Amino acid sequence: MLKLKNVYTDIGGLQIIHNVSLEIEQGEFVALLGSNGAGKTTLFRTVAGVLKPNSGTIEFNGMGIHRMPVHKIVEAGLVLCPQGRQLFPRLSVEKNLIMGAYPIKGNKPRIQKNLDRVYELFPILKERRNQEAGTFSGGEQQMLAIARSLMSEPQLLLLDEPSVGLAPLIVEQMAETISNINREMDTTIFLSEQNANMALNITDRGYVLENGSCVLSGDCAQLKDDEKVRKAYIGA
Amino acid sequence: MELFLQQLFNGIMFGSTYAIVALGLTLVMGILNIPNFAHGHLYMLGGYCLFFFAGTLGLGYWAGMVLSVAALGLVGVLMEKFVYRPLNDQPHINAFIAAVGSLLFLESFALVVWGPQGLRIPNPHPQAIELLGITMSVQRLLVIIGAIVLIAGLHLFMKKTIAGATIEAVAQNREGAMLTGINVNRVSAMTFAISTGTAAVAASLISPIFMLSPSMGAILGMKAFVIVILGGMGSVPGAILGGYLLGLIEALGGGYISAAYKDVFAFAALILILSIKPTGLFGKREV
Repeated sequence: MLKLKNVYTDIGGLQIIHNVSLEIEQGEFVALLGSNGAGKTTLFRTVAGVLKPNSGTIEFNGMGIHRMPVHKIVEAGLVLCPQGRQLFPRLSVEKNLIMGAYPIKGNKPRIQKNLDRVYELFPILKERRNQEAGTFSGGEQQMLAIARSLMSEPQLLLLDEPSVGLAPLIVEQMAETISNINREMDTTIFLSEQNANMALNITDRGYVLENGSCVLSGDCAQLKDDEKVRKAYIGA
Repeated sequence: MELFLQQLFNGIMFGSTYAIVALGLTLVMGILNIPNFAHGHLYMLGGYCLFFFAGTLGLGYWAGMVLSVAALGLVGVLMEKFVYRPLNDQPHINAFIAAVGSLLFLESFALVVWGPQGLRIPNPHPQAIELLGITMSVQRLLVIIGAIVLIAGLHLFMKKTIAGATIEAVAQNREGAMLTGINVNRVSAMTFAISTGTAAVAASLISPIFMLSPSMGAILGMKAFVIVILGGMGSVPGAILGGYLLGLIEALGGGYISAAYKDVFAFAALILILSIKPTGLFGKREV
């Protein structure tokens, strides 16, 4: 479904991503692990088209997307739920969600169906649907960001550090909800996390990013037992 | 009492023009994050386009107005694409300079094509109505009604349609808008077209009352800028209210004290309001 081949990305002349190749199949739930500054966000922004790779190719469903503008990539079914959430602070919750359905605009029944679905997933959003998004707490904003990115029914969802800045209890709930999205909605998910413990418990397999290079990959059981991963990310 | 009502009427009429022009300026400012200093000059160009279509080509007032709005909408799209879009990822100062450059270009263009002397567009509605002891010319009433219709229409467009909502979305979070699949460049072009098109509406409504001159854009552009600051940067209701407020201050100050000091009152009000409320009337503190 998603295939990166020898991807290099610069930001302001500084090379951040070095020679990353990876592959994700339909229906999988894959983790991208790495410490702060490892390049996870840069890699995701490159895949979503916000940044353009200097070299290498990115294929989505067999189509080269590394030169496509962001909105075309979204239309193709690949959606990034960004770190920092990037909500519309002075629009209501419901309007934020409706903007998330922009690629299917005009199809009212489908938008309504998706709206019902995300309200079921995050009941608090329904309660506060007329409230401005900017007045939300961090956890609520994160829920809204995930809900908004589901509104266009993406085939592949890139979730960039959804647990960052959230209380441990909320992180647990969030992890459960994300697993549900993967299983029940049949959405392929690529999840980036510093919190390797959480990520390895819910995903099928993972890649480890270090200084912008992919240093390790394997299924979760394997990664959990890896000496390096344990030392660096789990702290055991 | 009659003087008061007459000045009130005039103030609302000037305020209508100011509100429309400031509204267009504030919309583009939300998208670009810089003031389009050339906005007043686009208004001026709208007046000359009306002169060209209605007068030179003899197509009549209303057809001339429609064509002027369409021409200015096109100018807005081209300006966004060729002047501002290439500067998107550059420091803000570059766009500032580009705006000043466009302003000088537009004024010189009008000077070369239409000359420095004032031009008159024949008033299509010279009749007047007497009401409550004051005289209201039909064209002046049209300015007021036209502004209300335009503002209401724009409000419905922004709040009730998806295309209108994309303008707010892009202004509030450009990258967030991109990630929801909005074509940000197209929204910018559309916003510019609305901004310049509405400036042409304002110019077309009011230019049969006053003379056209290549410098008419400079002072109006400056005032629109004042209104946008007065109303709070990027606030649409602020721009509308600020426009009417400025029109009233000018008309009442001009009527009761001295018409020669009309612009002094406007800018004094700006200084006063900003010293009391630095974020403007409707300004939101940055969070």
